[in-house]
Amino acid sequence: MTDAELIEKLKADLGDKVAEIANPARRRLFLKVAPSDIIAVTTRLHDAYGVVFLSTISGVDNGETFEIVYHFSTPETDFNLRTEIPRADPHLASITPVIPGAILYERELQDMFGMIVDGLPDPRPLVLPDDWPAENYPLRKDWKHTRPEEVIPGGKS
Amino acid sequence: MSFQVPIGPQHPALKEPISLRMTVEGEVITDVDIRLGYNHRGLEKLAEEKNWIQNIYLVERICGICSHSHATCYVQGVEKLMELAPPRRGLYIRYLVSELERIHSHLLWLGVAGHEAGFDSFFMYTWRDREIVMDLLEMISGNRVHYAINTLGGVRRDLDEGQKAKILEGMVTLRKRSEYYFHIGANEPSFVGRIAGVGLLPKDKVVALCAVGPTARASGWARDVRKEDPYAVYGELDFEVATADTCDVLGRVVVRVKELLESYKLCEQMVRNLPAGDIAVKAPRKVKPGEVVSRYEAPRGENIHYIKANGTDKPERLKVRAPTLANYPATVEMLRKGFIADIPLIFAAIDPCICCAERAVTLVKAGSGEESVVRMSDLRRQAIARHQNAPVKRNAVWPL
Repeated sequence: MTDAELIEKLKADLGDKVAEIANPARRRLFLKVAPSDIIAVTTRLHDAYGVVFLSTISGVDNGETFEIVYHFSTPETDFNLRTEIPRADPHLASITPVIPGAILYERELQDMFGMIVDGLPDPRPLVLPDDWPAENYPLRKDWKHTRPEEVIPGGKS
Repeated sequence: MSFQVPIGPQHPALKEPISLRMTVEGEVITDVDIRLGYNHRGLEKLAEEKNWIQNIYLVERICGICSHSHATCYVQGVEKLMELAPPRRGLYIRYLVSELERIHSHLLWLGVAGHEAGFDSFFMYTWRDREIVMDLLEMISGNRVHYAINTLGGVRRDLDEGQKAKILEGMVTLRKRSEYYFHIGANEPSFVGRIAGVGLLPKDKVVALCAVGPTARASGWARDVRKEDPYAVYGELDFEVATADTCDVLGRVVVRVKELLESYKLCEQMVRNLPAGDIAVKAPRKVKPGEVVSRYEAPRGENIHYIKANGTDKPERLKVRAPTLANYPATVEMLRKGFIADIPLIFAAIDPCICCAERAVTLVKAGSGEESVVRMSDLRRQAIARHQNAPVKRNAVWPL
């Protein structure tokens, strides 16, 4: 099935759950989905289109909103599901009931952007240390790293 | 009665920092908890402050073994954003280095697997042969670890006829020896007895947990980015996807040796059919706003970079997912219901690369288990104080 045929089929099948489907390159589909529909669309793709493999989940800080891109792939096409959630209320539903392998990527989103992924079986921090200061999310655009002044005893003054 | 056994972050069996906390009942592991972050360097944040060219060398330093994988994955994505078409000679050289890197990485892994299984002559043989490919890489790029051969729009060094002959010669030697290793790896009774049936990962778990690379292919899940999403030159080359269906460490050995043989074939094809012409085109400094998903089959599995540009000379976002991170959930599954003695073998079988998966210093007090983040200067002060109070052998006299 070519990308164009697949887009027609997806449009007929998913209807108004998908706001737009872009196909900027061969094998690259970008589907825009509302955050409330993410589980429904993932389940449908998983069951009917054989989309079982999740490569990763990317988060992007767009200022007022956070953009989340789920990168799925099948042997034929790559599906990139895109959704946006408001920065003021960054709640996202976990897709781990459908794809258990998503857990590390969702935990990474929580650490790095401060999104709250609801329904995560294991919501502990993934890469940040346990005593990392609260409300510090490194990949938000307004977070800047300040290196603490290093004093070498007896060394260069 | 169950106990918790911590393995790592610093442990003789693991060469890189990761913490595995095993709940054991007798010799049997009942539960595993993986804690990451001991090697997190904040590379994705740093990449947003560097320009497109600087980032090639930054992402190359994500890993010391598959350095070329990250650089190539990044470069092929940025070239798509810039709408650049690198010359075919440049592409052939770039992916020739990719395959040579796969050979060196798989030979390294085979040695580690032999070592973990207590078969040290296998380790010495494979690492001796790894020098052949390391020397070839040094001859092509001038470096043994970070080849730095990629640039936006092509590669930085050309190949001459003498180098081509040397590569072909190296491939002949390596093929002959790898066939012998394949024979040993699949037939030597004590080695097979040690690795067969260890670290079972059924195919349905591979699919559910999104495992990648040789780990997935050893369970009969034949996904290879080079085949399904043929980037650059792979569409015009002839190779097979190596698989095994034993779902254990033996299968992972078999898959990697088969992949070695395929890589020799690919290298020979690329050297023999090397097109004439330029090796690079000039790249612009800035990139139009846009986004790209770049996928690459690294030695350990699928490597994916999501790059977003905002029209300046720096990326808006660079998301890197290295193959090892994708294999952690599967590792937990492999370790469960296994034995303590199999931990290093199973963990080594995914070919873990912790520095790839993570991009702050945490200390755990041995007595209380209390954890704290310490600045380098504090750590240094503690080290000096500790050293001053340590018992010293005074006026030691050589006994003989």
